[in-house]
Amino acid sequence: MERLTPRVRVVWLVLALFRAVVLAGLLVGAAVALSETGLWADPPEALVPGAAALALAIGLVRLAVAWRRYAVWRFETRADSLYIERGVFTRTKTVAPYVRVQHVDSRRSPLERATGLATVVVYTAGSRSADVAIPGLTPDRAERLREELRALAIESEGEDAV
Amino acid sequence: MKKLHPLSVAARSISRSVNVGLLFFVAGVVASPGGAGATLVSVGGMVLLGIVAAVVYELAYYERFRYELTSDTFDVASGVLARRDREVPLGRIQNVDVREPILARLLGLAAVHVETAGGGQTEVSLQYVGKEEARRLRRQLRRGARTEGETSAESASSDERASSDDEELLFEIQPRELAILSAFTIDPGASLLGGIALSFLSGLDPTALVPADLVDGLPGAEAGLVALAWLVALFLVAAWIVSAVLTFARYYGFRLTRVDDELYYERGLVQRYSGTIPLEKVQTLTITERVPFRWFGYGALAVETAGYAPGQDGRGTESAIPLAGYDRVLALARSIEPFGELALEDPPTRARERYGVRYLLLVAVLVGAGYPLAIVTPLERWYLPAALVVLVPVAAHLKWHNRGHQLGDRYFLTRTGFWSRSTKVVPYYRVQAVLHTQSIFQRRRRLASVTADTASSATLLGRAATAYDVDADAGLEMQRELEERLQERLRARKRERTVGERFGSPDESTLDLDPNSDTPHDSSEEVDR
Repeated sequence: MERLTPRVRVVWLVLALFRAVVLAGLLVGAAVALSETGLWADPPEALVPGAAALALAIGLVRLAVAWRRYAVWRFETRADSLYIERGVFTRTKTVAPYVRVQHVDSRRSPLERATGLATVVVYTAGSRSADVAIPGLTPDRAERLREELRALAIESEGEDAV
Repeated sequence: MKKLHPLSVAARSISRSVNVGLLFFVAGVVASPGGAGATLVSVGGMVLLGIVAAVVYELAYYERFRYELTSDTFDVASGVLARRDREVPLGRIQNVDVREPILARLLGLAAVHVETAGGGQTEVSLQYVGKEEARRLRRQLRRGARTEGETSAESASSDERASSDDEELLFEIQPRELAILSAFTIDPGASLLGGIALSFLSGLDPTALVPADLVDGLPGAEAGLVALAWLVALFLVAAWIVSAVLTFARYYGFRLTRVDDELYYERGLVQRYSGTIPLEKVQTLTITERVPFRWFGYGALAVETAGYAPGQDGRGTESAIPLAGYDRVLALARSIEPFGELALEDPPTRARERYGVRYLLLVAVLVGAGYPLAIVTPLERWYLPAALVVLVPVAAHLKWHNRGHQLGDRYFLTRTGFWSRSTKVVPYYRVQAVLHTQSIFQRRRRLASVTADTASSATLLGRAATAYDVDADAGLEMQRELEERLQERLRARKRERTVGERFGSPDESTLDLDPNSDTPHDSSEEVDR
């Protein structure tokens, strides 16, 4: 079983932080707006601090999940299929047979480029195709994995893959 | 290259004029000088402008639309401003639907819709061609997909034979079934239409509907409650009637026939719908038994292909039997995919405990929500929802009892749902990926859900074949098994095909481990090649 590059935690943490900040801004902003504009005639004292605490709690959970995600993530290129294990709360184990592979992408978001990482996405005709994405690979490994998957997919050529 | 039917300009213009005219009507009202005083001239002018624009556009659309059926592709060139040339390989066509909306039907026209597995929406829509042309296209599109070498003249003549000789009536809706279906189906749009109908009936004054003599004798607050209940009841009755009428019109004259290796359905009273479903493209069968119908021993069958795109609400279920006796539904499903006996395995009993705990928590939340509500409103007895606890074991048991799965010889079967119990039949060779998921709560009880993902369009709506709450280890075993059987079935099908190519007609008994459960379209596919 192969693990992801540990650096992927940086990507996930930055993303989690960004989302937590946006959410905190919305929550606290809404609370301040409610208490300042008088839309709510008599808001309780604890409204703004409460919103801030909630935002902080959610943010911390997000960060913890982002950190923990790395420990759970595993994948393996088996003889006939790609196997992926992931998920902090809901743990998902996916088997994607090579016969079903439609095409393989490797892609790099700006954040991934900054950290020197890449994602390989395997598409099947299945409706949950986007589920089969392997993040946190070094560009080199991503390239090799993509080639490997492509070769395996061609080797196990099926009929009309739908 | 052929053009659309000339009358299609009229049909399209009228339907578009209604839309555009409405838009320009609003625009005209808003843009009227002085704001408040919408003059008749300016509004009328805008509406006229809208209609003229629509007619001009449709004329251009008609002029620039060309289609052609070649021996192996269906070519369509269309577009007024942005041009698009499209070639659809006939072998990739999934469904062909012919629709006659009311306006088109009056003009003797029909729309042809061609679905393939790719893309986000209907790949080709011909709006509109003549009825005869629609029929010819439907036959030839599918025929061409099967026998690509045949010339059109030959296939045209064999068409006639096929329609008379090989057509096998699988299902025709009976008046009784249609009545039950109409009476118990809740159409989501009906409540809206019912409300509109009611408000017109009352002359846009809801108080007119309340029987004054009933209310007068009661004191103030209670009179209000009675009036409210009366209105709600009226609304429900109106929605129910509208729903029944809509359902009746939709499924009136439903017929499902089988011609060679494809299904053909027809239905509709005011607007006619028909279409073909190639059996070799079937991804999943879904047998749905909703609660009032299940009590009468009725069920529905949906034949899912990869053709329909997401968001085309319920269109995937057009290729379905709306309602029939359960035994008949099963027999029909077996004639499409012979999955043999249903012997579903229940989830472990600790899954039932899990549902019990879940419902207990739900009741606790209700009670908890009731308490603050009782403080701020005059409502008392906030603890009343706690009585629901009595129902918890029943609900948990029913949920548990209606779930199950079966790893059959060639099919993976799953079942779930009490109110709407759906049984899914997935051929192993249609499986795209296998997912083994465990939520936090499932992990506590060593349970897991195993999903066999297919390319069926219905799975996009989160209705993939899932065996819920199986033992976690058994789930892993099931995942392995599913993948193994997928590979095995694919190899077997490939072998059948190559042998078929070499010898023309393969002796099936030597190829298949169990010839009794062979799929009929497997063999027809071999004959084709």
